Amino acid sequence: MLTIDSAIRDDIAAVVERHGAERTSLIPILQDIKKEHREITDEAMQVVADLLDIHPVEVYSVATFYAFLHGAPEGRFVVRLCGTLACDFAGKTAVAEALRTALGIEFGATTDDGVFTLEWASCVGMCDQGPAMLVNDKVLTRVTPAKVAEIVAEYRAKGADETRQDIVTARNELTYAGIEPDAGLKAALALSRGDIVDTVSAAALKGRGGAGFPTGMKWNFCAAEKSAHKYIICNADEGEPGTFKDRVILRDFPDLVFEGMTIGGRAIGADMGIVYLRAEYAYLRAHLNEVIQRRRQAGLLGKNVGGIAGFDFDIVLARGAGAYVCGEETALIESLEGFRGEPRNRPPFPAVAGFLNHPTTVNNVETLASVACIFAKGTDWFKSFGTDKSTGYKLFSISGDCEKPGVYEFPWGITVADLLKEVGGAGAKAVQIGGASGVCVPAADFARRLAFEDIPTGGSVMVIGAQRDLLDVAENFLEFFVEESCGQCNPCRLGNPKLLEGVELLKQGTCSAEHLADLKALGATMQVAAKCGLGQTSPSAFLSIVGAFADDVTTRPQRA
Amino acid sequence: MSKILIVDDDPDIQEACRLVLEKEGFTVGCASNRAEGLRQVAEVKPDLLILDVMMEEPDDGLTMARELRRGGFTQPIIMLTSVNAAMGITIDRDDEMVPVEKFQSKPVEPATLVAQVNELLGL
Repeated sequence: MLTIDSAIRDDIAAVVERHGAERTSLIPILQDIKKEHREITDEAMQVVADLLDIHPVEVYSVATFYAFLHGAPEGRFVVRLCGTLACDFAGKTAVAEALRTALGIEFGATTDDGVFTLEWASCVGMCDQGPAMLVNDKVLTRVTPAKVAEIVAEYRAKGADETRQDIVTARNELTYAGIEPDAGLKAALALSRGDIVDTVSAAALKGRGGAGFPTGMKWNFCAAEKSAHKYIICNADEGEPGTFKDRVILRDFPDLVFEGMTIGGRAIGADMGIVYLRAEYAYLRAHLNEVIQRRRQAGLLGKNVGGIAGFDFDIVLARGAGAYVCGEETALIESLEGFRGEPRNRPPFPAVAGFLNHPTTVNNVETLASVACIFAKGTDWFKSFGTDKSTGYKLFSISGDCEKPGVYEFPWGITVADLLKEVGGAGAKAVQIGGASGVCVPAADFARRLAFEDIPTGGSVMVIGAQRDLLDVAENFLEFFVEESCGQCNPCRLGNPKLLEGVELLKQGTCSAEHLADLKALGATMQVAAKCGLGQTSPSAFLSIVGAFADDVTTRPQRA
Repeated sequence: MSKILIVDDDPDIQEACRLVLEKEGFTVGCASNRAEGLRQVAEVKPDLLILDVMMEEPDDGLTMARELRRGGFTQPIIMLTSVNAAMGITIDRDDEMVPVEKFQSKPVEPATLVAQVNELLGL
């Protein structure tokens, strides 16, 4: 039996009191303990379990699931170097070496003086400005080996987190910038709930997170459910490698997102909106909370919103704890409820039994901002962009081997070739569209269109230059999935390591044609047998690379 | 005799309902999707509508019911659907989002359907 110091118990009791002794508070409680004590000890877990009246193993299972919670005692400054492809292209390896040298430790370790911990991050959402790394909640971009020494020296000298962030995102003219504030909300609140849903359906808006589910339909079913409470959740867990457009929307156009949530809340009959913000975007929290508070003061949130009697709706911010899988809507809901972020079986769908078993709609950040624009400017205006099956415009996160990486808006239907012209991606041998879970499109197919009817995407476009080895690309993505698989289902948990092993064999020139055929069959099985959408799409990059670039990847000379 | 329009993409449901209702003396028309249904409502002006939910889109019937009410269609609607079982949801009629008089899950006994039609038509 654990003996627990009374001071520790008192400390943790204060944290629990601050958040409330409820299961939904478990992750915020653990986040605070981690921040204040730099580790979550067995004793701390026992105290939390006692206070929340749950078994300690429940606390352990959650604390060990999330990247930002688990692990050995951390230093005062946790340095997380982004390991994703674009940062790799930009010189991550040299930066990693410089960090090892400057800190005198390997990744996963803490300096003897307890000041620094060095870790890898799966993706910090700065793919256009890599190599990037987080130091605690701050993000540092375009890091070079020379800068590493300066940064480490500065943190050591000041002993405090005073380093300035240097985020500069290139972008073209975004439609959002020309939308009159709250015009969409005002127009929507003049309509009946049914008319709001039907307007979104008439605009044929499809989810901007990647899956492309019709937003109006999602709202329609949730609105038709009867419940004392309903929720609308903004999925700001933008964890797909190569995707960072939501970061720009949240920073520069948060009012549009909150407008969209309020319109959605009105439509489905929700009384609460929750923004699930990924841990890597913690630096946006203060700004978002200020905007929420300003909207409360303006009567745009709270009681009788917009002067509509009985429409009580508020928005709160929740913070993720570092798990890619929480971008999947049911895993996100599990996380909000204080559990491991493991996808649920469906049915029931969130529209029936979502957050705390109440009807819930989960929409992507960009989807919600688009809703506000549709009501501000009309469905005909919205449908004047894009194609018949992919209406409107889309924000694309462009990174990799191009002259102007950044966030760009284009109408749906733009060809890969035209997009590359806009961002200076001439000479690319391929583009990875849709992030690590997307597909690798060879140059021969650059006439294809980015649209739900051709190449659907959440907006990530990673440009792969002629000098790159596509097996390195596949390896990077599969390492990501091996790390980020929630482990709940066999196809994803066991399949991705097998595919990664296959990539190593291909690199060594020792993967037989028969084995490669088995790996392709395994990938195809994963696409149908994995439990969630993320697991199902995890082999997509591998399959597209060994398919489109077979002449390259299957002809490597055997290594001695 | 009263005119009834059945809007359902399942030809078997159309046929079964037609047989049952024609036997009762009703004049029955059928449409297979939302667009055709709206057109026939305008042309035929039915006294009662039997409306499926999941047609070309899974929520077509919900949208169509509201579209009709918005356009001034005041005749009774029976929503005859398996949407709850198929989608794992639990919706029912309500004035705002599901503006129909009856929400009837499939399968339905012929006698039940006839009774509902008669009740709604005041027969």
